[in-house]
Amino acid sequence: MAQAALVNRHMPVVWRVAFRLLRDRQEAEDVTQETFLRAWKMLPDWEDRAKFSTWACTVAINLCRDRLKKKRPVLVDELPEQTDPAMRPDQALDQKQAGERITALVDSLPDRQREALTLCAFEGMGNMEAAEAMGISVEALESLLGRARRKLRQTLAEAQEA
Amino acid sequence: MMTDERLLELIDAYGADPMSWPEAEREAALARLKAYPARFEGALEAARQLDHAFAADTMPDAPSGLAERILADAPAQSPARGAGLGARLKTILFPNGLRWPAGATLAALMMGLMAGVATAPATADDGFQTDEEAVVYSALGYDGLEAYMQEVDG
Repeated sequence: MAQAALVNRHMPVVWRVAFRLLRDRQEAEDVTQETFLRAWKMLPDWEDRAKFSTWACTVAINLCRDRLKKKRPVLVDELPEQTDPAMRPDQALDQKQAGERITALVDSLPDRQREALTLCAFEGMGNMEAAEAMGISVEALESLLGRARRKLRQTLAEAQEA
Repeated sequence: MMTDERLLELIDAYGADPMSWPEAEREAALARLKAYPARFEGALEAARQLDHAFAADTMPDAPSGLAERILADAPAQSPARGAGLGARLKTILFPNGLRWPAGATLAALMMGLMAGVATAPATADDGFQTDEEAVVYSALGYDGLEAYMQEVDG
């Protein structure tokens, strides 16, 4: 079935994006299922819409943002530079495994920076598609990526010095 | 025009791998890098270290059975509306249209059609909404379709 081809092709990316943003397998699964439920409803009117992968990532990101806002009753958009107090970079550096450490460091970034890194650095999405999926300009995406990478470099350098 | 400042911005935002840089600026950025490599060594090394750290990031696989659960929620493709839905799906799966290398296509079609005639049940309950879909699956199978879609996407 063509539906199966669509799911097999795009579901893994949607799930990975949701998991990276939520860090919860069950919630990521719920978001992935909800994304495709919306896709099934949209398909009859699909003509002239965006590329499916971009559309699916946009839906998934918005669903993740909703869930994160419910978890943290603070408007994320109003605090773009504030890191998650639950995991400071220096705390994250206590992780022993290199993979776990970088995961924790990325998790400590502000939500929008994490979204930008997830799409571009981890999923290999192009800048225009990633910006469209996030609903921001390419310049804003670049700014988020630059700030995220500078913060991570700084934290890693401090850890090496220590 | 590519400047030192812009190239440093690209490295800062997208990392050390030129393939991660915006396609529209990549060629000019590489030319600048080739002309003045020493100016960007430090930035590239710092970015490379972070790129390597990203590569160590662990990512679990999607839960088993998730695809099946999603498909269980998919609408049934009835013959009455199936052509429309099938066409939408085909547009999404093949955004550039079906473009087949002529020789390979003909051979695959012949093999697929022969195999299909010999093995497929002659019912309308096969889930295919168009002749193209039926031919793609019968001729190439699912793995073949996946490979073909990757090729189409380039």
